Formats: sequence, structure tokens, C-alpha cells
Amino acid sequence: MKEDVSEFVPLSTATLHILLSLAGEDRHGYGIMQEVACQSEGQYKLGPGTLYDNLQKLIERRLVQPVGERAGDEDPRRRYYRISPLGKAVLSAEVERLEAVVHEAKMRLQPARPRRA
Amino acid sequence: MFRRTYVWILRLHPRNFQRSFAYEMLLIFDQVSKDQGTREVPGNRAKARLTEAKLVGDGIVSLIRQWAFRPGFQQKPAVAGPTTPALDGVPGFYMIGSFKPRPTAVIHGLILSIGVLSAALLAMKFSWNHTGHLPFPTLDREENASTVEQQRAILPTEIAPVSHAAQSSRGNPGEVEGGERPQSAAAFEKSQRLQSGVAWKQAKNVADEGARISGKPAIAGTRLRAANERRDDHRSTAFPTIRSGSPEPQAGQPEPQGAAGATNPPGADGVKLNAAERRRVIERTIATLKRYYFDREVAEKTAQALLTHESNGHDDAATDGGAFADVLTKQITDASHDMRLTLEYSRERLPEHPPEQTAEDLARYRKAMEQENCMFRKVEILPNNIGYLKLDFFPDTSVCQKTATAAMASLNHADAVIFDLRDNSGGMENMVGLIASYLFDHPEYMYSPRESPTEHSWTRSPVEGNRLADKPVYVLTSASTWSGAEQFSYDLKMLRRATLVGERTRGGAHASVFHRIDDHFGMGIPELKPINPFGKTDWEGTGVEPDVKVKAAAALETAEKLAKNHLSKK
Repeated sequence: MKEDVSEFVPLSTATLHILLSLAGEDRHGYGIMQEVACQSEGQYKLGPGTLYDNLQKLIERRLVQPVGERAGDEDPRRRYYRISPLGKAVLSAEVERLEAVVHEAKMRLQPARPRRA
Repeated sequence: MFRRTYVWILRLHPRNFQRSFAYEMLLIFDQVSKDQGTREVPGNRAKARLTEAKLVGDGIVSLIRQWAFRPGFQQKPAVAGPTTPALDGVPGFYMIGSFKPRPTAVIHGLILSIGVLSAALLAMKFSWNHTGHLPFPTLDREENASTVEQQRAILPTEIAPVSHAAQSSRGNPGEVEGGERPQSAAAFEKSQRLQSGVAWKQAKNVADEGARISGKPAIAGTRLRAANERRDDHRSTAFPTIRSGSPEPQAGQPEPQGAAGATNPPGADGVKLNAAERRRVIERTIATLKRYYFDREVAEKTAQALLTHESNGHDDAATDGGAFADVLTKQITDASHDMRLTLEYSRERLPEHPPEQTAEDLARYRKAMEQENCMFRKVEILPNNIGYLKLDFFPDTSVCQKTATAAMASLNHADAVIFDLRDNSGGMENMVGLIASYLFDHPEYMYSPRESPTEHSWTRSPVEGNRLADKPVYVLTSASTWSGAEQFSYDLKMLRRATLVGERTRGGAHASVFHRIDDHFGMGIPELKPINPFGKTDWEGTGVEPDVKVKAAAALETAEKLAKNHLSKK
């Protein structure tokens, strides 16, 4: 049964960035922090406290799942996280929502074009 | 420090959060610190510190957030499984139970914590200013009946040369010209010099003991220069060898007899030490060494070495007292690796009990010091407002505190201070500490190899009204700078409080105490194991290396330039 993703959106900035960072590949906590900083070109930085608070919530809501440790990692005890199918669906929904927001914003911010009544 | 704080913050998180994420958060802390650059690179250090501080702040926010706003997550861990190992060997993140304190309890706890913290800070502030008055445990000292006797032997000799000093041609209370004295005084003074060189130490316990015995304050030191001039430069003894200053035997003058024993008074020339007499000296040397040396194991080893050398006939060639003392000293230092251990020989009979210190002695010492302005040779302000103090001796504070205080007060408004110790032959540790007190804003430990740490080992900083505590300090040294002056230089250098300019110092720590073995032989023995907070070695035999090496004659000019440059950069 496909879950209703609408209850998850809109996402907070931190949640959005975390899900986005996990969209491409599984990452550990520090990897997520680095990816988030990279995505936002350094404008948005997550502290570990915020990161794990959000991860805690995401895991609780089953948007993210821990996938355990990796043998080849620098620290073999470091846990990796993976976005779940539900998480991907939520991310997609959030992106769609944002697209609509952006579209709407662009529409409204164009001064030459008269607004609809 | 930040990491430790961070660990504790993590430990205070709710139990389930700890189990799930604390270890990973700490890993991130370490990784971020590492990525910020190594601590060894000075530029990155502050940056890394700032990052760590930010992480600690993030941890505190997280702590509040988890306890205050995430009650639902406290019931079960977000991530199952035993994933959190112990940190630093401490079973880390399951110490706080998963309970949520009542808000009122948190507020009460907060108020209580602030109260306790404030009280602790006040106590620290108070103790910071009063550490000098706290009792400090002294090192174990060999307790035996002869200790008091030994101390008695120390004190009177310390004052004796003053009488000569007052009469000496240069009027210097420290200087004694042997040739100007009547022959009848020579033997006794020689023995005094032999003893005074080592007995220079004025530990509080020694001084107090001396005062207790004699009923007079203990005074020491003015014979140092006399001792200097008699000292064999090639030897790293803790006290001057008398042989170098002894007149050669003259016809008709009493010459020590080889045996040098109490039963063998000095007689006619030509008598040499025979095997039995050497044996007796060795036995007494061993007994004295074992009795007083602080390291019994080394004493035992050295004793064995001496006996082996003797049985192998290595001492046979030494038939003269001085040569025999040299041979034994070498054997002792080879076996013990302690250059402060020395055997000394006196041609004249060593007195069993040095004369008692008298009120006249004390008065003479005081008068001589007053005449010499307590050896404060020059106190002036040089161009660029650089204070200059030439001090040739560190006299006892019981006599010269006023002079010292006045001298330092006249430098109080200087922008930098130069201490000229190029002609300083040492002196009393209490004066070293007194002058150093002006150079710190908190009590600082002044290490001395001669003494166990006592409350007097700390400077009496801060000095009220003093403005020199943060001013640049330069100490001028020469190859003549000796003993207590070396302590002043060494400690300020090691504490990074002064820049030493000039030559390597002479190298006399004087950590030994003289022990009379018999009528003609005595030993210098360090009785305390020095605990050097700056490293294993002090300046005994090696001197103190200056920071800026120049000829002594050019030291003042160089220091002035350094001070001027330093001040112009401000």
C-alpha cells in the first residue's frame, strides 16, 4: 500500500537537505554534513546535534534507515544511512512542492506581468 | 578540553539518543577537528579551537532540545543494536537513566550549579592570591643526629668572611684576599672556605634550625666571592676546592700528614699516604656517602666501585692528599654519574666545630651590606625608559629587603627592565625570590636544586603597586655569573619571563652539603634528590645558556637594542 506522503511535507530545511544528500548514495553522518555543505555551497551547515536530531525523526518516520557499518570505511564502526523508498517519495513530493512554490514566486516577482484577479 | 566537555555533554543526553548517536557525534567531532588542521600549525590552531567550541555549543543545544522537546524519543532508541562502544575506555553512554526531570528541578539545579560554580571560582581566585601561605610538603631528608650538627657547621661559616671583607682592600664584603691575612688565620679560614662553599645553601629549615640553635637569625652568603676565587674552574664541584687557593708548602710551615686522620695530626713535610691510611679514608668516605647521599642504591654501587679500585691497586699512585682526593672523586663520579659528589682535601686541619656565629658577626654583616648598598651597584633609567639594575650579589632579605624594595620601586615606571648579573656571584634564594616577585602577577615557582620546595619557593607575586609584571625583562650574564644568579637567570629563562643576553654562566648549583670526614678530608654530598620541573638537568657544571649569545662586554648594549626594538613594535 502506497503511503500518503502529503503528511510529511513541507519538510524543514534540515530534513530536506539530509534527504537530498542521501538521494544519491548511502552516507554516514559526517558524509551527510559534508554533502549538505556542498549542496548549499557552504551557506547551510548542519551541526551534529541538528543532524542526529533530524535523523532520529527521519528514522522514526521510516524515511531513512540505518544500514549499519561498512568494512572498508575509515572507522568500521561508523554507521551509514540510506533513504527509504518512502523517503524518496517524500523528497519527490517536497521537490514538486518547491517547484510549485518557485514557479509561483517567479510569477509573482515579475513586476511587468499583471496579476490575475 | 573541548573534547572532554563534548563527551560529557553527550553523556548527559537521553539514554536512547546516546545509544543511537553519541558515538557517531564524537566521531564527527574528531573528524572535524582533524580536518580543521593539525594543532601543530599555529595558524590553524585558533581555527580548530573555534570549530571545537562551535561543536560544543551545538552539543549543548542538542542536549536541551533532546530533553525538552523530544520526550517521545526517550522511550526507545532510534537505532537498534549494540552500536555504541565505550569511549576512551570509559563505559560511555548509558550512565544517565532515561528519565525526564521536572522543569522546576531543572531550574533548581541550574541555580544550585551557578551558586556552586561561583563559590568555586571565588575560592580559586582567593587561593591564587594566597598560595604562598599554604604549607608545602618537603622532601624526605635524612634524619639523624648529625643533621643538626651539620647545620651548625653551616651557619657560622657563612658569616665569618665578613670580618675580612670589611677590612679588604676593595671593601667588598664578599671578597677575601687570602694573602692579606695573618698566617695564623689562614688554616682556619681555609677550612671555612671549604665548608662554606657547600654550606651556602640557606634552606628555610636549615636557617631556622640554625637560628634555633644559635638563637640568632641565620645569615649566609658573603663569603661566596671568596669561595669563587678559590674554586677550581675545571671541576664541577659544588664548592670550591681549597687546593687551588692553598699556598704551596713552605719550609718550616706545618704540612699535612698523609694519613689525614684524626689520629694523625699534620706534621713535618714529606709524609705520604700509605695503603692503610688510604684505606681508612676510603672506608670513611663510603660510610659518609651511604649515610647522607639521597640515593642509597647509587651510594652502595659507588662504595663497591671504590673498594674494587682500591683492591685493584688503582689508588696506589696517589700518595699525596690532594691527588688522592682527585682520584677518589673521579672514581665516585664515574660510578655515581653525579658530578656534585666530591672528595676534598685540606692541608690544614679541618676544625671539628666551626666557631659559633655571634651578634658581632651579624652586626658586621649588616654594616658591610649597608656600606655596599646591599650590592645593588646601579639602579637607573636608561634612554627609552629602560630600567637598569646592576646587582652583584643577592643578599639576605633580612638585612637588605628595604634596599631591594627601593631599587625595584625606582624601576616601577620603566617600560622594560635589564638585570645586570654579569658580576653577580650568587647569594640568597630569598632575595632571588623577592626580586622575581616583581616580575609576575601571580605566585610563580622558582626552582632551586639546593632545596626542597617550600612556601618560600614561590614568588610573592603580585606585589602591590608593582607595574613590572608584564614588562619585558632582560638578564645580562657572563662567564662569572654564578650560583644564585644562575638560579635567577635559569628560572626566568625556563619560565619564559626573561631574555638572557651575554655569555654562558659559570655553572654552580651548589646543591651539596659539606661533610667532614676527618681532619683533612671532607665530602660534598647532595642530600636531596632535585625535582626539576623544567627537565632533568640544571646548570651544575654546564652553566645557563643565554638566549642571545654575545660577549659579556657587549651584553648591555645588545639588551638595550633588543628592548628598544621590542618597545618600538608595541
